[in-house]
Amino acid sequence: MNFFRRLAAQWGERYRRMSIQMVLSLSFTAVAAAGMLLMSVSMIWRFSSANEQLVAENSRRVLAQANLNLDSYLRRMMRISDTVYYRSIKNMDLAEDDLTGDLSLLYEENRDDLVSLAVFDGEGSLVSAVPLTSLKRDAAPEESDWFQAAAQSMENLHFSTPHVQNIFDDPDYPYRWVVSLSRHVQLTRDGATEGGVLLVDMSFSGIEQVCRDVTLGSGGYLYLIDGDGELIYHPRQQLIYTGLLAENNRAAAEYRDGSHQEKFQGQTRQVTVKTMGYTGWKLVGVAPGVSWFAASPQLPLFGLTLLLFSIFLMAFLNFLISARISDPILRLERSIRELDKGLANVKIEEGGCYEVQRLSHAVASMVSTMRHLMDDIIRQEGEKRRSELEVLQSQINPHFLYNTLDSVIWMTESGQRQEAIQMVTSLARLFRISLSRGKSIIPLADELEHARHYMNIQQIRFKNKFTTEIEARPGTEGLYTLKLIIQPLLENAIYHGMASAEDDGVIRVTAYREGEDLLIDVEDNGLGMRPEVASSLLDGERPEVRTKGSGIGVRNVHQRVGLTFGEGYGLAIFSEPDEGTLVRIRLPALDREEAERRREEEL
Amino acid sequence: MKTEKSRLIQIAILAALGLAAVLSLVLPQILRGEREEQLLSLSVMLRDTDSSSWTVARQGMEQAADELGAELRFLTLTAANDSGEQEALLLREIEDGAAALVVVPADPGALSAALDPWLVVCPTVTLESPMEGAAGVVSPDNARLGQELAGALLEDWDGGEVLLLDTAGSCAGVAARLAAAEAALAAAGAPVRREPKLPEEPPRWVMAFEPPVTQRAAERREAEGRDFALYGVGSAAAVTAQLERGNLAATAAWSDYAAGYLAVRRAVNAVRGTGGTLAPLPFFILREEDIYAPENQKLLFPIMSSSSR
Repeated sequence: MNFFRRLAAQWGERYRRMSIQMVLSLSFTAVAAAGMLLMSVSMIWRFSSANEQLVAENSRRVLAQANLNLDSYLRRMMRISDTVYYRSIKNMDLAEDDLTGDLSLLYEENRDDLVSLAVFDGEGSLVSAVPLTSLKRDAAPEESDWFQAAAQSMENLHFSTPHVQNIFDDPDYPYRWVVSLSRHVQLTRDGATEGGVLLVDMSFSGIEQVCRDVTLGSGGYLYLIDGDGELIYHPRQQLIYTGLLAENNRAAAEYRDGSHQEKFQGQTRQVTVKTMGYTGWKLVGVAPGVSWFAASPQLPLFGLTLLLFSIFLMAFLNFLISARISDPILRLERSIRELDKGLANVKIEEGGCYEVQRLSHAVASMVSTMRHLMDDIIRQEGEKRRSELEVLQSQINPHFLYNTLDSVIWMTESGQRQEAIQMVTSLARLFRISLSRGKSIIPLADELEHARHYMNIQQIRFKNKFTTEIEARPGTEGLYTLKLIIQPLLENAIYHGMASAEDDGVIRVTAYREGEDLLIDVEDNGLGMRPEVASSLLDGERPEVRTKGSGIGVRNVHQRVGLTFGEGYGLAIFSEPDEGTLVRIRLPALDREEAERRREEEL
Repeated sequence: MKTEKSRLIQIAILAALGLAAVLSLVLPQILRGEREEQLLSLSVMLRDTDSSSWTVARQGMEQAADELGAELRFLTLTAANDSGEQEALLLREIEDGAAALVVVPADPGALSAALDPWLVVCPTVTLESPMEGAAGVVSPDNARLGQELAGALLEDWDGGEVLLLDTAGSCAGVAARLAAAEAALAAAGAPVRREPKLPEEPPRWVMAFEPPVTQRAAERREAEGRDFALYGVGSAAAVTAQLERGNLAATAAWSDYAAGYLAVRRAVNAVRGTGGTLAPLPFFILREEDIYAPENQKLLFPIMSSSSR
């Protein structure tokens, strides 16, 4: 039971891994092969049955004909016996007449079929005989079966089984096989009647000739037995007599007329029996059960190869047909897999039969809807990103503006008019660059200019506690950058790095190119911080605390760069306590064309 | 490309199977047709000058040849028991393409030596006497036969010398019968004498060990009106007739028909390599009163010969 369960599970597993074409092909082939086998078996069975009937019918017909011939032959012998009895014996007085003349006449007329004609009295003494006229010295006819059968049943004629006639004295000792026809007769001698026996010895060859030419085809043959099953004629009679061959004649004697199946010496054979009218002899036709098969021993081989050929042909055609059916489904499956891989512009083919067409159409429609939805999502994401950028930018301006204007008020109040003018001028320049006609990507030069103005303002505010160095190295000319990304870092450097500086603070801005990237380092020599604190400044999960030096400005810049240019771009902070801090901005090195293209995308 | 290749393989398998189906239908018929046409040529060589005493055996041989697809050539010698002539004739038959030989050897030892190189390619089956290198021998158990024939004589024996007709020459089978009979008689205390021929005045008890010798002795007994008791061998009609006429007291009989049939069947089987073994032929001691017992009739008087008058 477990074995079948395991087998079923294995098949189930295989089925799940099979392609639809293979499933269709195998299913069709299995069903067709099963059908063919069923049909073949039923045809073989039907053919065998029809063949058996045909053989039986043929045997019956042949046996009927043989019966007719044999019956005709025996009736002729009986007529001879009748002639001897009714025309000669009945009309003669043996004391006066000699029977030999009449017997000789009849013998000569039928010498091909007769071996001897003889009349015996009731004691077995020879009355008359032809062609041999005397008995052997120790012959005892009254002890013979044929004599006793005639004496016991007076009304009938009796046919013996074949035997060698041994009563007549023949100097040649020919040992002829005969079938004796005997009957009881009334002999008249001196006017008195007495019993006697008339013997007609038929040549065995007469019966043999009738039976010998009968053929049943395909190894079939005919034999003749008496009512007790004693063999009278058999095509291989002498082999049976010498014990080299066996025949099922005793069993055949028990069969009723008609066809029977029997198994003899391991062979199944069909036996047809026909009982002859007067003698009670039985004609037995034997047809080997496998005769039609034995006649065509190549049939099983032919059947097998034909079956294999048919199954393979069926499998081949089924493979082609199933390929035609399943191809559209496979193409559809392939398209969906390509879609799954993220390939754009995948065409969904709508082919195949009705159901597959409908399915393809539904998938194509779904893909189209999905693409529209994805476009909408992308557009919305873009808009969201822009709005986020705008929010981030807008977080910078009010903060700085407040501080600067506060410084201008302070300087105006304290009479530092020149410094106030310079600060306001830098502020104006700062805002002009900040606006940049709404563009988010501006030339690197403008961004550095913006940083310079910002630092001008902050230096006035912080009374030159630190110096600023801004440098654009060769190779950065003509490059573009995201705007307002340096200023928050400078702001952080001032508030964190320069807080405790005493006229020796240095803030250095360096723009340079590294491969396809543009790097902008903002470095100070201020207090610095522990590396773990430095790395936590860019952590997006960190709670937003709006205090000076909270690092929000730095994180804003990092997020803006990341949102605009993707992963791999943004800030990196390197710092050690008391040694200063280096904040490095990594951007793609955008030339004018690329910058323009990105601007258009933003729009 | 892969699909195209597998499709070509499929078509090739399909074509091969189709061809196999056609061949399986046609080839066996062709082969069978060829096989049916091939009749085996078998030569049958006797050690007598005529084959009259082998008529029944010949019928058995022809029956076997007919059933097994063989044709027979019967050969006799110009002088009885001439082993030289027998060897020469058999070698000629082998050269003429005989597939197998069935021989009643005049001198089994000499014949075996003469045919030795050929016995592998041309299987030889002997009748009556065994021969070294032969594919088989078809004969009764000769020693037992001699013993039982002597037993039959001893049943009737009431004293007197027993004459054994020693006609064996180099024929081992006959010699074995004779030796066994002689031993059995000696053991029973019967005086024994060997003579190559029946003397002018034979003793009361005579034994012959070959069918022709038996027949001739019986004929002479009848012709000369002698009254010796003759015990012989053979079941040919001539021997049986002598038995019936009272010239033969008993004969050791076997079915010549079966002997002929088995010899040819063994020879054909040896050629075709289908093997099989041969058991000694059954025999029985037949007396006059038993001739017409139904079972004896069947063995002694082959039905085929009686029908072909």
